[in-house]
Amino acid sequence: MLKLAYDKMAAPSVNVCVESVIEHQIQEVNYDGQEIYVAPLSMSENLSKLAYKIDFFKDESEEKGKPTSEGEKETDEDKVLAPFQPSLWPWDSVRNKLKGALTEMSVLYDVLNIAKEKHYMVTDPVSQEAPELKASLQMLAKKKSLVAASQILSAGAERLKRVQAEMASNTQENFLMELLKLRKLWRLKKVHNTILGELSYKSAGSRFWQGGTFEVLKTSDLVAEGEVNTRSSSLDVSIPSELEGVAYIQVEVNDVPNLMDITSATLKMPAGLGTMPPDAYWQQRLEVAQNVLFCKELFAQLAREAVQIKGSTPHMVIGNQILTNVFPGVQLSIILCHYTGKEKKVALSSHKLEHNHVLEHSLHQLLRRVHDRNLNYSPPHPVNAMLGMTKRRRLAGPVATSRQELMEMSHSESLLEQILKQTKHSVLRLRTMRVIDQLAVTIQDPQICAHWSCLNNSLESSVRISFTCYGYEIIRNSLVLLIGTDSIRVVMKDGRVCSLSFEVTELRDLIQWQICQHQTMCVLHLAKVQGWTVLSMINNSGHADMEAYGTSSTVMLASPRGNVTMAFHSNPVSGQRLAVKKAELGGEVHGSPAVTAAKWAGLSGDYEEVNLQQLEGRNLVGKIDMLMARLNTS
Amino acid sequence: MEAAVLAPSLKSIAPQQEYLLQGSILDAHRDVLLHRLRGLCDNAENSPESFNDYEAVYMLRNSSTTQQSQFVLFRVRHALDRPDAPAHIRYLGQAEVGDRGRHTLVRACLDVACSPNVRDFLMEMGFRLDHDYVAQGFFFHKGRMKVTVYKIFKLQQPGKTDQSNLEPLGSSHLVELSVVAPLGQEQIGDDMKNFAEQLKPLVSLEKVDHRRIQ
Amino acid sequence: MGVSCVYDYPVPDGRSGAQVVDVLQKQVETMGAYKTGNFHIDCETYQSVMLNSPKTLHILHNSEHPASCFAILDSGNTLVADTLFNGLMSNLKNYYQARKGAKIESKGQRYQLADFVLKIGSVSLAGSFKGILVEVEYSPSLVAMECWNLMKELLQSIVGNIAETPPQTLKPRMDETFTPTMAMLQYLEHFNNFRNKAAMSQPAR
Repeated sequence: MLKLAYDKMAAPSVNVCVESVIEHQIQEVNYDGQEIYVAPLSMSENLSKLAYKIDFFKDESEEKGKPTSEGEKETDEDKVLAPFQPSLWPWDSVRNKLKGALTEMSVLYDVLNIAKEKHYMVTDPVSQEAPELKASLQMLAKKKSLVAASQILSAGAERLKRVQAEMASNTQENFLMELLKLRKLWRLKKVHNTILGELSYKSAGSRFWQGGTFEVLKTSDLVAEGEVNTRSSSLDVSIPSELEGVAYIQVEVNDVPNLMDITSATLKMPAGLGTMPPDAYWQQRLEVAQNVLFCKELFAQLAREAVQIKGSTPHMVIGNQILTNVFPGVQLSIILCHYTGKEKKVALSSHKLEHNHVLEHSLHQLLRRVHDRNLNYSPPHPVNAMLGMTKRRRLAGPVATSRQELMEMSHSESLLEQILKQTKHSVLRLRTMRVIDQLAVTIQDPQICAHWSCLNNSLESSVRISFTCYGYEIIRNSLVLLIGTDSIRVVMKDGRVCSLSFEVTELRDLIQWQICQHQTMCVLHLAKVQGWTVLSMINNSGHADMEAYGTSSTVMLASPRGNVTMAFHSNPVSGQRLAVKKAELGGEVHGSPAVTAAKWAGLSGDYEEVNLQQLEGRNLVGKIDMLMARLNTS
Repeated sequence: MEAAVLAPSLKSIAPQQEYLLQGSILDAHRDVLLHRLRGLCDNAENSPESFNDYEAVYMLRNSSTTQQSQFVLFRVRHALDRPDAPAHIRYLGQAEVGDRGRHTLVRACLDVACSPNVRDFLMEMGFRLDHDYVAQGFFFHKGRMKVTVYKIFKLQQPGKTDQSNLEPLGSSHLVELSVVAPLGQEQIGDDMKNFAEQLKPLVSLEKVDHRRIQ
Repeated sequence: MGVSCVYDYPVPDGRSGAQVVDVLQKQVETMGAYKTGNFHIDCETYQSVMLNSPKTLHILHNSEHPASCFAILDSGNTLVADTLFNGLMSNLKNYYQARKGAKIESKGQRYQLADFVLKIGSVSLAGSFKGILVEVEYSPSLVAMECWNLMKELLQSIVGNIAETPPQTLKPRMDETFTPTMAMLQYLEHFNNFRNKAAMSQPAR
């Protein structure tokens, strides 16, 4: 502890205190942790120690001769030059040394004076109290230092262990292997120290604004904070937050009472969809994120089109839902479901989700086709032809394509229009199917059989309906329905074509009318087999009462012997009726020459209606067959 | 839209420019380049589109003696392997090599599809056949950039384009990177430069000053 | 694109072209035809310069074929090309120059009558009225021979007796497949006639 008071020597205003550190130097540490301190130096000891450090024999001129820096050399050139001219005076060095010795001597003298005469400096002995050592305190301090030391040691050991483990399990190599695998499946690039990947469909032709950049991470770096590495993979990906979760496009076709049911436009979020487990394999996570992006693009595209297209009935976009009318009373809703797991749990509505997988798939297909078209132009031939034109457009000039064809060429259908058409078709197909099935169940006689063609596309399908009667399968009538988007074309057995609208009652009426005609055909066939004569046959008779729909067909038959006439009347509404007229034969034969045959004798008689219900037989044709056979012999 | 499709006189068409970089590769290394291009270009999933074009260059020269040196060249090209594709007349303007800052050669370019009687028609107009050749090779595209790798064949007997009559010219393939776009889109040059960089050790695409070759 | 026949409808003395066109339009409308927009056919003529043998090249455009440009030489050799062909012509201006004041065009209403397309166009040369051209197109057919009689009947009810025989340029090609070029050749012939007439009347004045 040195205190210099410059009050007399220099300006009295500033007191500068120079103190040595209070800490005692440690001489040695015992094995029990006790530290032996070096006793602090006394004032005089200190001074003597410092004085000891002065090298009185050191040549100061030499020190001067060595310029310490370039700057010094340049600025103080005259000083530097002096020692380089020893020839000026041979005793110069001696004189310098003497001068130096004199200076030092005077300084020493001054110091001694200062020390001796307590006029300038007061040296107080500092009381040296032995530090109070409390056992408990010491204990605590030791404990603390021990804990700190052990932590450092264990952290080091941990690190060593991890490296060891890594070496043993080849995690590093695993990471590289997985990175290689990732590289094969996804686009990656290195930016500074991070590896970035791309999961968007941009390289596949998408022009969606949202990007899909993900970052590749090493799992061993993530678990540095002492948690246990539970991940199976040594590679992890971090996906942008907006692409997290699971998404899909839900397509629903439902019947609505009114023109458009806006109330159903509530946010429906099926919780059953579930979330991705956070530790899923990276490939799975990337695929799901890519799907999210795809669904978002699809929905954005559809929503844009829904707003742009001016239809007869406007399309509506409400939140994550697009509503549009397919047919009156039938509504198509396309919903973007994006479940990130962060939403508050919405109680799963009891609302039954009628998700149409086929249409969802069609939507995906349509967007992919758009992507494909963005990327793949028709190749130019010859190769210097303009890029980006279709083959037909390139020919338009040289073959002088007409204005109308060019207009058709430039017209492209939007995704929404296309999916609407497909929906119309699928609705129409379902309706047709239902009508045929219902009729087949309710009408047992004749039997209705539908053959659906397996060769169809998303906008057209066909079905052949055939009518047969049990036991008389040889008599077969069929008609073909071509189901389009808005209408059904029916090709009948005789080649006639008629178009039906999307209303199913039209189809039902038509089929029932065809059934009537089929029964008439059956009766005609029986007549041929049994040898009866067809007196008249009218497919669409205008006689009889007006019915709700359809026309009656009538047949008049005469038995081979000519004594029985049968009239068959078939109508889709009032049903089938059969009447028989019997001529009385075998009475007295008039000898008149005008009567050439016996049958002319029995012209009289009335038609009597036969109760078809009461007749014996499995079905109508069977009953009539029976009756005809019986009448043949009468 | 109708107006755009039906505009009867298209006199207001923006003049089109061709941005061009050229290079060549030895026949032996062609497949490596094709492989590389397949990876870089857009139509990757399909096998490279091949082409086989016959090009004849027709010249119209002034008959007056004072301007004998003046002439116009029309390049007429049609695909030998696609008989239904139309023939094209191509007019190329004077190439501007430009300053060092511009990465590509730029020249006016006009491609006109026309009916197959074009050769007779041009002859009747006063054109004379200058030279002809067959180009066979592959086509790639990346965005609107067109990459062609092809070989030029000389016709041993004039007018016959069957394979036996063709004589390959040199032992390397020509590689061209080109974009046809309206004037003043300098961005294209940079894009092309970047693309050319990616092909670098295989083939170095440069702007070739044709006047210096001649 | 079916078979087309183009006839020059004479304008009687003392009546303006507009009046005659009006009458024709009324007549066509009473036949049951309805308007389907306008049509426009123009022809520009180029003359060769500094070539050993002088040549004439006609460039025609038809609004029915908006993507095409028809280049016809004197011999009748026709090149059908993209509309960009105009750009090629501007590059040939040292060799082929447009004849001044020779731009001729026919434009007017387009009518549809069942399978027929009727076009009544008034022809103007360098802005002044020169005459009327009536075109009748029968869409379903491609061979003139097959449908000539059918067309004749309709034509005679519009243009009268001048439609007794098929148009001059069509005659030798009656049994060929009809192409848009043939319609353009007919128009060109009429245009040339109008020009010649105009050239004849010029020195008289």
